[in-house]
Amino acid sequence: MVGTSVLRSVAAFAARLSPLKSGNTAANLLTRAIPRTDKVAVRWGHGKRLFVIKPSDYYDRRFLRLLQFYILLTGVPVAIVVTGVNIFIGEAELAEIPEGYEPEHWEYYKHPITRWITRNIYDSPVKDYEKMMAAIQIEKEKADMRLTQLEVRRHMRQQGDGPWFQVPTLNKELIDNSPKSSPDH
Amino acid sequence: MPADYDKGAYPEPPRQTPVVDKQTALPNPALILSKLFYYSVDLPVTTFRDAVDSIRAKNKIVYYHQKFRRVPDLTECKEGDYPCYYEAEMQWRRDYKVDQEIVKVIQERLRACQQREGHSYQQNCAKEIQQFNEVTKNFQSRYGDLGAYASARKCLMKQKERMMAAQAQNA
Repeated sequence: MVGTSVLRSVAAFAARLSPLKSGNTAANLLTRAIPRTDKVAVRWGHGKRLFVIKPSDYYDRRFLRLLQFYILLTGVPVAIVVTGVNIFIGEAELAEIPEGYEPEHWEYYKHPITRWITRNIYDSPVKDYEKMMAAIQIEKEKADMRLTQLEVRRHMRQQGDGPWFQVPTLNKELIDNSPKSSPDH
Repeated sequence: MPADYDKGAYPEPPRQTPVVDKQTALPNPALILSKLFYYSVDLPVTTFRDAVDSIRAKNKIVYYHQKFRRVPDLTECKEGDYPCYYEAEMQWRRDYKVDQEIVKVIQERLRACQQREGHSYQQNCAKEIQQFNEVTKNFQSRYGDLGAYASARKCLMKQKERMMAAQAQNA
């Protein structure tokens, strides 16, 4: 009994070492199944296995990966913030202006993010209006001054009694009139 | 929920639900489909909306429509008073926007009326049609061909032309 088991195990070992030799097939050995590495099931399925030769798509895939990363880097926080604002704060509702109450300039907008932007980043529309009116006033005064300056130039050139258009000449007291002072000099 | 629309301007058509007169023992497919739609779409959407509204109810904010003071018109400005011109121009632009919105509302009413009445809209919506014609004729005569660079001055000149034409016609 012990000898047959030893014999069997030796035969199995020999079969494992050289499986292609005749006499070593599975049917001859009365032991449990031995893994036969040459007759393993090849699981490729249907179709012929091909070695496809194509140019490298590493650079294209790298570009798309980086694009995705950099878009999502700011895209995801912005999406979370906007969704949170829309769910937790929500848009404003229209109401009548209460008596004697002057609403702030941001209370005229509906969406909370617009309200925040007009409150913290932009100037109020009243201030913008006044800034524009101030610019217009300055330009008007500049234009008026230029017109009056042209008018004054015209007058001074014609009349000659103003400070402009004066040409410096010699002092009349320096002229020696003695050669011409008497008729027969 | 947002405020309801003006029921007087957009009257609801009379309900035409037929009396249920079931003559077969077979189930009604319309009923099945409507119940399916209710449970698969309507109920989840309504519960989501209610949940979001209950979260929003704690941070309620309101907004108002701004009321602008009336300022002197372009005809009441002295010549060369450019800030006055600017204020009149801004007021004219606000009025132009308001008039555009008025025309849109009248158009919307006509459209709703046509949709309600179906093929008999020409006789049933006579009031809306007459209102629409009047409003669009007035808008065309006032702001008609001013173009994209419309301004208060151009509108005033157009009014002057209209008055001159009316005077020439009367004379």
